[in-house]
Amino acid sequence: MLERERVAVYLASRSLARGSRTGLLLNVAIISLVFTNMILLPSIISGSVELFNEQTIDYQTSDIQVRPSEGEQYIGRVGTLLETINRVPGVRRASARHAIGATLLARNRSVSVPITALNPRDEVEVTRIHERMKDGEFFSGGERGEILVGQYVAGNEDTRRDLFASLGGVRVGERCTVAFANGVTREYVIKGIYETRSYLADYTALVTWEELESVIGGPVDQATEVLVRTDRAHDPAVVKRGLLEAGVQEEVKTWREAITSTVEDSIETFGIINGISMLVSLVIAVVVIFIVITIKAMNQRRQIAILKAIGIHRGVIIRSYLLQVLVICTLGTIGGLVAVGALEVWFSAHPLVFPDGELVPRFEPAALVENAAWLFLVSLVAGYIPAWRITREKILSAMRAG
Amino acid sequence: MIRVEGLRKTYRMGNVEVRALDGVTLEVTRGEFVGITGPSGSGKSTLLQLVGLLDEPTAGSISIQGTDVLRLSDDERTLFRLNRIGYIFQDYALVPDLTALENVVLPTLARGATERDGTDRARELLRLVGLGERTDHLPAELSGGEQQRIAIARALVNEPALLLADEPCANLDTRASTRVLDLFASINRELGQTVLMVSHEESHRRYFGRIVRLQDGVIVDDTGTKPSPG
Repeated sequence: MLERERVAVYLASRSLARGSRTGLLLNVAIISLVFTNMILLPSIISGSVELFNEQTIDYQTSDIQVRPSEGEQYIGRVGTLLETINRVPGVRRASARHAIGATLLARNRSVSVPITALNPRDEVEVTRIHERMKDGEFFSGGERGEILVGQYVAGNEDTRRDLFASLGGVRVGERCTVAFANGVTREYVIKGIYETRSYLADYTALVTWEELESVIGGPVDQATEVLVRTDRAHDPAVVKRGLLEAGVQEEVKTWREAITSTVEDSIETFGIINGISMLVSLVIAVVVIFIVITIKAMNQRRQIAILKAIGIHRGVIIRSYLLQVLVICTLGTIGGLVAVGALEVWFSAHPLVFPDGELVPRFEPAALVENAAWLFLVSLVAGYIPAWRITREKILSAMRAG
Repeated sequence: MIRVEGLRKTYRMGNVEVRALDGVTLEVTRGEFVGITGPSGSGKSTLLQLVGLLDEPTAGSISIQGTDVLRLSDDERTLFRLNRIGYIFQDYALVPDLTALENVVLPTLARGATERDGTDRARELLRLVGLGERTDHLPAELSGGEQQRIAIARALVNEPALLLADEPCANLDTRASTRVLDLFASINRELGQTVLMVSHEESHRRYFGRIVRLQDGVIVDDTGTKPSPG
């Protein structure tokens, strides 16, 4: 070990061991809280982004979304396309969807939402809407005269509680009239109401492909989108390449690519809030460490002067203070990690409930390392300044002042 | 060994200028045991502090072992103090967080000794000053005399060529004072260390080989080159 570092360790270890335990614990506790504070908001934001991503995959886009080529309204020859896609390695299942504009009427209220036609046997393989039935049942296959509606379409009897225009709290078994954009009007029995908590998914309605063909008046071999679920071991980006290589001409996007720029803007905004929060936490850490070291060094002015008088280099003295800061930061970070671990356990059992889902803060190792690194860096700077300043004082005046 | 020429030190106390030293010239050869005496405010401690590189003069020059110490940088002065000067303060100036042993070990570590070697040397010196049994006590747990003996052991641990002692017996009883002065005398005689000691006790005069008397910041008397008593 280098000579000066060795003497600094000697001094710092004795100072910590024989200094005030209460003061040390208090400093460690403050750093622990600062660290926890630095981690908590980003982890809530990460959890929120994760929740949104999961909802996007499970209820909207699946892993890969195939949409009509630019300028086209529909994907043609969708039966053949499904066969092609299902043969690509890494594809678990593809499901064709056909959305058509419609107005739903029930309880003297009307709602205009897109109605999506799907094949239930394919759909249950690519999305998880069937697992989110609030009431009633999902399609088993080929149902006619029945419709599934999202929770926001169904709404509440007390419509003041609705976020959007709704059917006033319709229930499973009730009838609703649907006026399709092609002029056809049909009456359906509500078979089920789903509640995914994704605003986009829950403000839609579903019918079977057979029902769509009945409305259109013939076989339908075109879709507005095809959702593709990949095998868990396969990266959607790799499978997307496989689809393109297999000759899929349509627009192919992984779920991440399909997320709209609005969502990306939101994530960016979260990032800015997170940055501000981190900055505030770091300022708190700087102030705390600066005050702690200033007070400590001021109280030890005479001791510092003595050390200089007997020939201890001021660099050694500064290092000894920085080592004490490092110890406080290390113990504080460990304390913060324990607190973060406890919060993780707590939030896993008691997620934060938001209108769009249950949010479990996501404590990412990279964020923990990054925040700890920042905390150490600013603490060292905050500790260095008062130690540097006080060790510059003239020996005799410091000895007299002490 | 030490050559001081035209040394002046002026302090400002508000609008008043105080001349602590007013042109002191002094030469001390290697192995001398010099007593610096004089009434309070005569400039004894100031002279010692300047020679000990703890302060800077307003004018004049100081040369120690051929080195013009006033030309040294702050860091070089620190190293000079570590390697060549042992300083004993009137109020002991021990590091309160360190035990008696650790206070003495510290300068050896700063000079690059291993902790084991430093500890062995420190224990030996603490035994020599009669504190072999109290090495693990903090300064606050020791009497004034015991603390002063730790300070002496610390000053001697790196075997400095020059030992400076600023009224080391001021807070000691007669018995402890005698023990300390006997120790200085023996170090001076056996190791050939140069000793400059500030004192205004008449009883200490017999230990000094030479007595420099200061008054109002100037040397008024410089007598004796007799060998120090044992």
